[in-house]
Order: sequence, then structure tokens, then C-alpha cells
Amino acid sequence: MKQLLLILAIFACICAAGCVSDPYADIDWPLTLVGADGTEKVMTVSQIAALPSVSGNGYAVSTVGIKYGPYKITGVPLIDLLDQVGGVHEGQTVHVFAADGYLWVFSYEQLLGEDLLCLDVNLKEMKTPATMTPILMYTADGVPYPYDDGGPLRVATMTAEPDVITEGSLWVKWVDRIEVHG
Amino acid sequence: MRKSLLIFALLIIVFAVCSGCVAEEKTVVKVVPAGSLLLPLEEIELEYEALHPEIDIQIEGHGSIQAIRQVTDLHQPIDLVVVADESLIPDMMYQEGPEGVNYTDWYTPFARNEMVLAFTDSSAYADEISTENWYEILSRDDVKVGFSNPTLDAAGYRTLLVMMLAEEQLQVPGLFSAVIGSSFDPELIVNKTDDGLAVELPVLLQPETNSKVAIRDASMFLLSLLESGGIDYAFDYKSVAIGQGLRYVELQPEVNLGEEAYASVYDDATVYLGFQRFSTIGNERTGMPVVYAATIPYDAPEPEEAEKFMAFMLAAFVEGGVGYPAPL
Repeated sequence: MKQLLLILAIFACICAAGCVSDPYADIDWPLTLVGADGTEKVMTVSQIAALPSVSGNGYAVSTVGIKYGPYKITGVPLIDLLDQVGGVHEGQTVHVFAADGYLWVFSYEQLLGEDLLCLDVNLKEMKTPATMTPILMYTADGVPYPYDDGGPLRVATMTAEPDVITEGSLWVKWVDRIEVHG
Repeated sequence: MRKSLLIFALLIIVFAVCSGCVAEEKTVVKVVPAGSLLLPLEEIELEYEALHPEIDIQIEGHGSIQAIRQVTDLHQPIDLVVVADESLIPDMMYQEGPEGVNYTDWYTPFARNEMVLAFTDSSAYADEISTENWYEILSRDDVKVGFSNPTLDAAGYRTLLVMMLAEEQLQVPGLFSAVIGSSFDPELIVNKTDDGLAVELPVLLQPETNSKVAIRDASMFLLSLLESGGIDYAFDYKSVAIGQGLRYVELQPEVNLGEEAYASVYDDATVYLGFQRFSTIGNERTGMPVVYAATIPYDAPEPEEAEKFMAFMLAAFVEGGVGYPAPL
């Protein structure tokens, strides 16, 4: 009994000391969300990771055919994330900005997983799976997404099915601002 | 005993070194070329490395703007930049980097290309199309046409420039609308003013479902669609069509963006992209001859080796080969 108490006490100390901690707590990467009416909200990676998330498969290809992945990825669906600033609706566009000066624009339909070109592992076009979900990814293969690969926040397309490849232009790296237009 | 062990260990080391187990590290030369140069550069890389086994040429293809951004925005250690639009180097690299020195102050133009229409034996009217009638064939309702995304790929906005110039230079009123513009909602319109021809693209460039136009992110996906029969004709560079073993039809020199003599005609046409994809370069693309150029960034990790490889590469392009853009 004494031994059990000792173990519990050690565990409590470890927790109190922060050894079992939020893996995103030390990431200094504010994300600014801007709603269609101009509402702004700044979120930390920790706050984003605390939102309801989805996990699945992600796989991208560059414009010259270099494949990136496959990854097991986790993140927040972009369409759900934008509920933080009033949501996004039909006819509106979503502008995703990166810290390196890159910009990509998504349609409302694309955020629903439609109008996205999908390729198989041989880079032949295939039907878009119903599970296709564009997300703001913060974890790949079980660890916080690394800066060198475009983290800590990167747009990704997630599917339940493996080996569904999408075009890399959508996979915006180093996302630091998302605006709803229209 | 200890002495024999020492001798034994030394013998193992000598043997390992002689047999190549302790390999000499190669000098890496990083090259970022435009996607349309990948095929020739793979050949050139092999030839160069065979002659210089101590060198490892590492090639990473990108769109031309992205290739330059590896140096200017992403600060990657790049030894040689090779792009499909010579104007991009002064536009994006003749400016100070973080150390107060220009990314580069020079470039060497070395090859040219031109836009063509690639097709296959299965394409509609494949046996009928020619330089004289291509625009009439493309206008037919049952012909599907593809081009790459103008926001992502120079061949994409160059397609729009070709079609604008074709309507004007070949005197075919309504051609742009018939082949491209009417497949979008709202329709893409060519604005004709005293300054020339201009098309403003919407933020989202998506052809209507079941229209005659298909757009893909890049040439390789477009040509895959062509080969699978998803489209009948694809606009691309001549060297790419040849490199892929596709049939193609040449376009008139006043519209194909391939002739220096027509530079003053080409620059009548301008495309305004729907949004500024990169903060470091604007969204205006004006017609000019397709000229390839190379430069070595000021902070290249291996500038001397880059210079040697570049000289070899330039000589290889003068000699030419299947899928090589034509030398200047």
C-alpha cells in the first residue's frame, strides 16, 4: 500500500511539474482568423488543438510529381475552424495566408471536400472520396507537425481511405492567417 | 598479444578504406529548375556525375517562381536556379537579401521554347488539325481543351495569352470566348483598349461542369488527362510535347510566344491573375518570348562547382536532345 501511495505521489509530482504537458504549449505561432464581417480572433496552436479534431490519411504531390506522404494526420476541419469567426457560407471564399508570403484561395465547396482533384498512387485521376476533408493540420504521424515541413499549422486534405493524393498547391505551409471573403 | 590485435585492427581499417567502405563524401550541388526542364536536366545530371564522380548534382523541380522563392523567400541553400522566364530573375532576385547583398546581379539566357497544341491519335479531329486550322478545330463544340492553372504554372497564363493573341492576330472575332471564355461563369472577357488586350481572371478559376475546358495544376497532370482521353488537346511547351512523345501542332509565330521578332506583338496581351499568390511578385503577366535563363545566387554554398555544372549544362543545351528547348 505504501508503495502504491509512493507511485501515486511521484506521478502527481510529475504532473505538477509539467512533465506530462500540452505538446503545443511552447509553440509560439499565433493564427489570426478573420470572419466575413471583419471579426478577428487570434488563436494559439494549443487552443486549436483543443478544438474537436479529425484524424485520417494525408498524401500530396507537387506540380513536378514529387510525392509527400503518406501521413497519418490530425487537425481541425477548416469549415469548423471558421465557426470561430461566424462561419463560411456558399458563395464565399477562404483566403489562407502563410508566413512566407504565400496565399491560396478555397471555395466553400472545396471546404466541403468537393471540387478537389484526387489522384491514385500512380497519379491517375480518381473519384473524390466522400470522406475528403480539408483540415488545418497540427499533427502528422503522431507528433506536432515540424516547422521544416511547413508546421506548426499547415492545410492538408484528409481522407479515411489511404493512398488518396491531392495537389500540393492546396497544402499551404506555415499558415498564420485565414480570412473569409464575400 | 596486444600487438597482434593492433596489427589486426589496422589491417581491417586498411582493407575497409581500400574496398570503399569508408567512402569519400561527395560535394553536393543543389539545382532548382523549372518543371519543363526536368527531363533534359536528368540526362545532363547523369552525364555530369559520370564525368565527375566526386560531385552529387541534386535536382528539385518547381514552377519558375517557386524555384526562385527557394532562394529569396525560403532562404534555402541553392547553387543554381534555372527558370522558364528570364524576366523573373531581375524582377525577383535583383534585390537585397538579408545580408544586404543582391540575391544575384546577372543571368544567362540560353534556350527558347514555344507554345504548341499537344494531342494523341485518339483526339477528336486528330487527322484533320494543322497549323492553319487549329483554332477552328478547337472552337468546335465536341472538342475538349486543357491547360494548366495560370496561377500555378507559366504555361497556364501563356495559354491565355496565346488565345488572346490568336483572336487578334489571326483575325478570328470571338475565338477566345469560343475556346475558353464561355466555359466559365461569369464568362472570361478579353478587354481591348489602346493599351492592348487584357483578361482579368476571377479569384477561383473553375470551368463549368461539362464545359469544353479542363484545368489542372501542372503540365504532368494535364498530359495525363490528355493521354487518358479526358481532353482532346492540351496547350504546352513544344519541348515538353516532344519529350512526352506526343503529337503536336505548331502555332503561328505571331501567337506562339516563341519568336523574338514578335516580342512587340506578344506584349500587347496581359493576363491579370485572380489573386496575388506570392507577396513578392505581382499578379500581372504580359506576353513575351519564352526564354530560359540560369543564375547562381550570391550565397550559393558551392559557387565554383555550380559554375562548372552550369557551363556543362549550357553546352548540353547548345547540343540539344529529345525534349530539350531549342538553343538561343
